[in-house]
Amino acid sequence: MIKLIEKIEGEAKLNFNFKEGRIDFVDIEFMSTRNIENILRGKNAFDALVINPRVCGICGHAHLIATVQALESCYSNLKLSNKAKIIRELTLNFELIQNHFKWFYLTMLPLFGHKQEILKATYPSQLMGKAIAIFGGQYPHTSYAVVGGVVCEITQMDIVKLEHYISQTSKFVEENLVKTDSEIFLTCKDADALLDYEGDLPDILREIKKEGFLEHGKSYDRFISFGENSYFKKGKSLKAKVTHNISVLHVKESEMPSSFAKNVSFKDKYYEVGPLARAMVNKTPLIADAHKKYGDSIFSRILARVCEISQLLQHSKELIKDLDLSEKSYIEPSIDISKLSSSGYSAVEAARGTLIHKVEIENGMIKNYEIITPTQWNLSGGTKDKQGVSQKAMIGLSDVKTAELVFKSFDVCSVCTTH
Amino acid sequence: MKKKMRVLWLSAIACNGNTHSFLNYPYMEQFLDDFEFIYHPVIDSEYSLEDIVSKEIACDILLIEGAISKEFKRADVSVVEIIEKYSKIVKKIVTVGTCATFGGIFRESGYEETSGLHFDQEEPLKTHQDLLDKTISVSGCPVHPEVLVNTLYAIKKSVALKLDNFLRPKEFYAYTVHNGCTRNEYFEYKVDNHRFGELEGCMFYDHGCQAPFTHGSCNKILWNEVNSKTRAGLPCMGCTEPAFPRQNLFSTKKNMAIPENLPVGVGKRVYLTLAGISKAFKIDRLEKKLFDD
Repeated sequence: MIKLIEKIEGEAKLNFNFKEGRIDFVDIEFMSTRNIENILRGKNAFDALVINPRVCGICGHAHLIATVQALESCYSNLKLSNKAKIIRELTLNFELIQNHFKWFYLTMLPLFGHKQEILKATYPSQLMGKAIAIFGGQYPHTSYAVVGGVVCEITQMDIVKLEHYISQTSKFVEENLVKTDSEIFLTCKDADALLDYEGDLPDILREIKKEGFLEHGKSYDRFISFGENSYFKKGKSLKAKVTHNISVLHVKESEMPSSFAKNVSFKDKYYEVGPLARAMVNKTPLIADAHKKYGDSIFSRILARVCEISQLLQHSKELIKDLDLSEKSYIEPSIDISKLSSSGYSAVEAARGTLIHKVEIENGMIKNYEIITPTQWNLSGGTKDKQGVSQKAMIGLSDVKTAELVFKSFDVCSVCTTH
Repeated sequence: MKKKMRVLWLSAIACNGNTHSFLNYPYMEQFLDDFEFIYHPVIDSEYSLEDIVSKEIACDILLIEGAISKEFKRADVSVVEIIEKYSKIVKKIVTVGTCATFGGIFRESGYEETSGLHFDQEEPLKTHQDLLDKTISVSGCPVHPEVLVNTLYAIKKSVALKLDNFLRPKEFYAYTVHNGCTRNEYFEYKVDNHRFGELEGCMFYDHGCQAPFTHGSCNKILWNEVNSKTRAGLPCMGCTEPAFPRQNLFSTKKNMAIPENLPVGVGKRVYLTLAGISKAFKIDRLEKKLFDD
């Protein structure tokens, strides 16, 4: 049967094949594309900083950071202040956080039969939007990160505001998501202990257990994460065995016959990306414990995504302490872009996982641009013998409703996929 | 229970930026007391997209996000067909954002005849002329949440909004983005040594700022209630205007050292005369750092 999966920043068509009452194979189809890569060709390279955030309304900031880093990788002697690096990392953190709130309260809750909690989604995500706007002027769709740094200068008074937005958001987490001190939640190493807490997250985790969903959503137990920064590590995890020596050069995109989306593989294998992948590579104790007990099921996937909210809030507080406001926000590149012919790439961790941008510049103009989005990794649609991560995660389920839950546990983004 | 206004939020060729900008509206609780979505890209609704395209659901306002082409389909039905069906029954149509109004970035996405509902950039279209009286445009990439929501309240209260030539409410689009920018003095007195990463300076002279000739309230009502692009130090990209996105967005196009695009309504000769006089000021305060030791 064919089902249109809606409200994933667009739609996808899933064609379910059943065998003896269980899902045997799922074909995933995206019905459109917006040809961003074509739009970019022939334009001034810096214009990509304005166009690319418009790939996606919910994770456009990650596209900005990926763009600026891809462009910067084209230069050979570019200087970037530590301050600019920290500011970029902060704003990207804030985008990840707002995304996870929206996903949990708008997408996940209804799948467990609860009412959507619109205000619980918008209140904290608006605070994170304000935090980005202090630096970027607005959210969504700022282009404040430019080659050489960031356009803004910030003051101690801006930092005060910023700290308040972060504290208010932490408070929201403590009063709603997991009702305990953030410190306790962040140092918790036992996934089962979480089930004894009050809060919207423990409620959902308890329901997963009660409904017998603990086996649901398991896939290859194969994770990858390329976007390195002061918090996330680069690496892959195969059945909890982590290695860090991986290269983007082994990432391949290929056309799919039935869909506008392209497949993405690493050394010819499909990998899961996103918060669970990052936590596996980072060996976050709580998530490692969940994974040990419940594998790469929806339990671990949901927990990892929500847990990242608290981790990134905490890490952002630390990052702010490292900011040296006397440093420059922007250091002008020594060579003008119009004299630059080069190529480069970047990999950053967006809300849904590794985002890769590749660019080729000729005299400052874009000759070629390629974008590989996180959802492409997770939703690569393979054949029956070689299935994509989310396809495999749905195999064996007995109904389409549960399959939709598993599918959406990957936090699918249709607009990104159909860039 | 009071009757809520029923709204259909339809996305065409879009990035969902307007959807997420809307979610930043600070008084969402109040809004949801007064309006309900028969369909929205992320907020749960009574009807599915399949219901929307296959049936005719009662509705008061049609919101369109994204560039429009008859070739682009939602749930297997052309967006133009969906728009035509609902535009007959609604009281008002609102084109949300620059794509739905002028075509915007996704005008170039390669679909057949892609444009806004009534305009292909600044060119008025011959199609859908019967809907002109019903349409209000709230351009911007993305739209400012307050501009969208307050326009919806104007419809609810049957306020007759004055519209400009592109059907945009003058209440929000009669201003230029330049109005209220904290960098205004550098513009007024022609202090033209802006560098990125500083509180000082005006991006109009070298870095492509389009604020003096872009209509919008960005610096009047601010974004996320705290800031604006130009205040932060990012040039205005002219995202509310028909020509968005222009090219070479980070540099100012000049003819013989004079910016090609001048503030709205300002003639070149007067501008030159005035610039010459203004430059004579040499205001020490504006040549130095703002927070001087």
